[in-house]
Amino acid sequence: MFWRLLWKLLRGSSGRLVVAILALVSGAMVISALLNLEFDIERKLTQEFRMLGANLVISPGHDAQINGAAPAALMNESEAFAAIQSLKDPAVVAAAPFLYIVERAGDTPVVVAGTKLEELPELEPAWRIEGQWTPSHENQIPCIVGRNVVRQLHLALGSTLLLSYLGKTTQATLVGIVDAGGAEDNQVFMGLAEVQRLAGLPGQIGLAQLSVRGTAKNISEFAARLAAALPSYEVRPIRQVTEAEGDLLNRIRLLIGSMVVLILALTALCVLATMAALAMERRQDVGLMKALGGSIARIVTLFMAEVGVLGAAGGFVGAILGIELSRWMGQRVFGTAISLRWEIFPLTIALMVAVALAGALPLRLLGKVKPAVIFRGE
Amino acid sequence: MFGRLVRESFVRNPRRKVLVAAALVVGMAVATSTLTIALEVGDRLAREFRSLGANLLVTPQADTLPIEIGGVDYRPVNEGAYLSETDLGKLKTIFWRHNILGFTPFLDVPATIQQSENSDPILAMIVGTWYAQNVSVPDGTSFKTGLSVTHPWWKVQGRWFHDDANECVIGSALAATMPGVTAGKVIYVTSRSPGDSAQGQPGTTQAIALKVVGIVSTDDAEDKALLVPLAIAQKLSGHPGQFRQLFVSALTKPADTFSERDPLKMTPTEYDRWFCSPYISSISFQIKTVLPGTDVRTIRRVADTEGRILSRVGTLLWIVTLAALGAAALAVAATSATTVLERRAEIGVMKALGATNSLIAGIFLAEQLLLAVAGGAIGFVVGAALARSLGASVFGTPASPRLILFPVILGIAAIVAFVGSLIPLRRASHFNPAPILRGE
Repeated sequence: MFWRLLWKLLRGSSGRLVVAILALVSGAMVISALLNLEFDIERKLTQEFRMLGANLVISPGHDAQINGAAPAALMNESEAFAAIQSLKDPAVVAAAPFLYIVERAGDTPVVVAGTKLEELPELEPAWRIEGQWTPSHENQIPCIVGRNVVRQLHLALGSTLLLSYLGKTTQATLVGIVDAGGAEDNQVFMGLAEVQRLAGLPGQIGLAQLSVRGTAKNISEFAARLAAALPSYEVRPIRQVTEAEGDLLNRIRLLIGSMVVLILALTALCVLATMAALAMERRQDVGLMKALGGSIARIVTLFMAEVGVLGAAGGFVGAILGIELSRWMGQRVFGTAISLRWEIFPLTIALMVAVALAGALPLRLLGKVKPAVIFRGE
Repeated sequence: MFGRLVRESFVRNPRRKVLVAAALVVGMAVATSTLTIALEVGDRLAREFRSLGANLLVTPQADTLPIEIGGVDYRPVNEGAYLSETDLGKLKTIFWRHNILGFTPFLDVPATIQQSENSDPILAMIVGTWYAQNVSVPDGTSFKTGLSVTHPWWKVQGRWFHDDANECVIGSALAATMPGVTAGKVIYVTSRSPGDSAQGQPGTTQAIALKVVGIVSTDDAEDKALLVPLAIAQKLSGHPGQFRQLFVSALTKPADTFSERDPLKMTPTEYDRWFCSPYISSISFQIKTVLPGTDVRTIRRVADTEGRILSRVGTLLWIVTLAALGAAALAVAATSATTVLERRAEIGVMKALGATNSLIAGIFLAEQLLLAVAGGAIGFVVGAALARSLGASVFGTPASPRLILFPVILGIAAIVAFVGSLIPLRRASHFNPAPILRGE
């Protein structure tokens, strides 16, 4: 009986029902798309911020003696990198050791950084490179040279750079020219082992730079764990990067978040208004049922079930469409699809059912309905 | 007659109008605030991105290679080229002068530091710079700039030096190696300016007493250096009025394929468009013009991150704004449709009395239009207030209302209310008055 009545009710008012279902479906679509976006935006933006380059530095620590141009304190390469690997954190985008020495190219002193060339593109995605990051030939020593060095020493891609340090010399082939717009434009980047050999410092590095994905809080937590694993060294976030990143991230999230809340409220309100109108149209039915002896509780339950079913159905369809919409938005904005959050699905449906039920609340007033008045059409 | 019908409808049954009007007000308020924010966000976020620090670096063009590790130049003072301090005011005369938010010159001098006249000297880098210097601009005004603008993440314990006083700020790592150096203590800085060997002049020794006023932490190489006012570093190095590097923080528009093109290969119209857009490439070109003999480089890390995130957030915000407009349209359309359906009996009576479909449609649409104008106007005011508080909570300064949006919002409101009632009105034209009047 209950179900038959429900079915009849759903079929009865088709015009109004179409409006209500349309409102529910599109409301659910907008809500689920925006929620999906809102949940994923932080991850997407922190990825974008990795353009800023390294945000964590491991250095020999403060007690190191400061002695003009030659940083005296060094760290053990394998010790530092064993600690990074032992943490096995997927948030580490890139990690590279650095050993700086001042070598001579002919008569010109030039800063040479020994590092892992293959880590550089990940560590510093903003650098413009002409040529290659990594060499194509095995049997030569590759180097990447800053663009000021290239200009000063009249070099070109493929030319050979003769470097000497305290009587030892090395011949490197120029495979890439880097334009970073900073001190790196004045430096030469080479394989770490070669620089260690020249400097006579096997296994030693000056510092290590890491690019770690995450919010400022994630990064400082990671830094703390790394510091615990490396008690003799100093691990510190690069404040210029982490501080500005955290601040900007918060502002962008707040901005998008508050707009999303506004739209959610508007959509909910729209669905609420439609459902309220749908409910009020049922006054005649209520009068009739009441006149036939139906109890108010039963009548209200019936209508609640009706709008609940509507809300669930609209929410279901809308959530599917909304997830498609957020996929499209992710593709459009970030170039990669936004990862789906399945918890959005039940959340949207629950929200739509709740809004639909709230819209039907005016029906409670029907307890006061006097059938005679309604039938007279007043 | 037509006007009276419309007026009566408002006077007789205001309750019905309230629902549509409320939907219009809320919908248009959300539309106004999202549009206002979307229009403003580019400028606001670009300004926020300046907390990343400078995005342009100016160095002498005919320079030797700087021996620079971690931001400190270890070249001896007699090597390499310098830039002149007096030209800096010209930066505020370029076409995009208002987009130059700040600039800071740097001069690094190797020197020795003594805690007292006869204690052991410690070798350290002296970094000369400005904290908040007044620079006079050729047009007669002055402009305050320095580290306070370009390096906002440098934190000082105590206070910063005054640019015209014999004061200094000590790097935290350097301070750790010099126990006893705290704020208020006087230290002695000595440098040997090398003599001109060609003319056989002996080098002179410069000693200056400086009062430590703060301990700075930069998380960079400056932690191991002593920061002093630029004038003092110039005196120590024997290069008065000169510096080595200039960091410029400029408000820019995200780079696109157009801005990356070579200006020399552009047509005159393209060149004008490029010159008059605040791209980082055109601003650096303009800086190069007023500071001849310099090399202006884009700090890629900062500029590219900013450009990428700005353009992405911009697109995202426009999509969200579209969603807001869609939701607003939906809300208004749904309520309009509801009111038409609610008034079926009325339509039935009118039809029974001989009203044509077009007259009924005209009456309803006129009502909707009136509601749209009223609701749109109120919604605009509410939305502008909403945008103000949203701007204040996100960016710290309220977003100013844009009057240009007013007609846009009214137009949107009218269209949405119109379209929302068109579909149910089409249905209403098929109504057969008899069953409606019977109450079926």
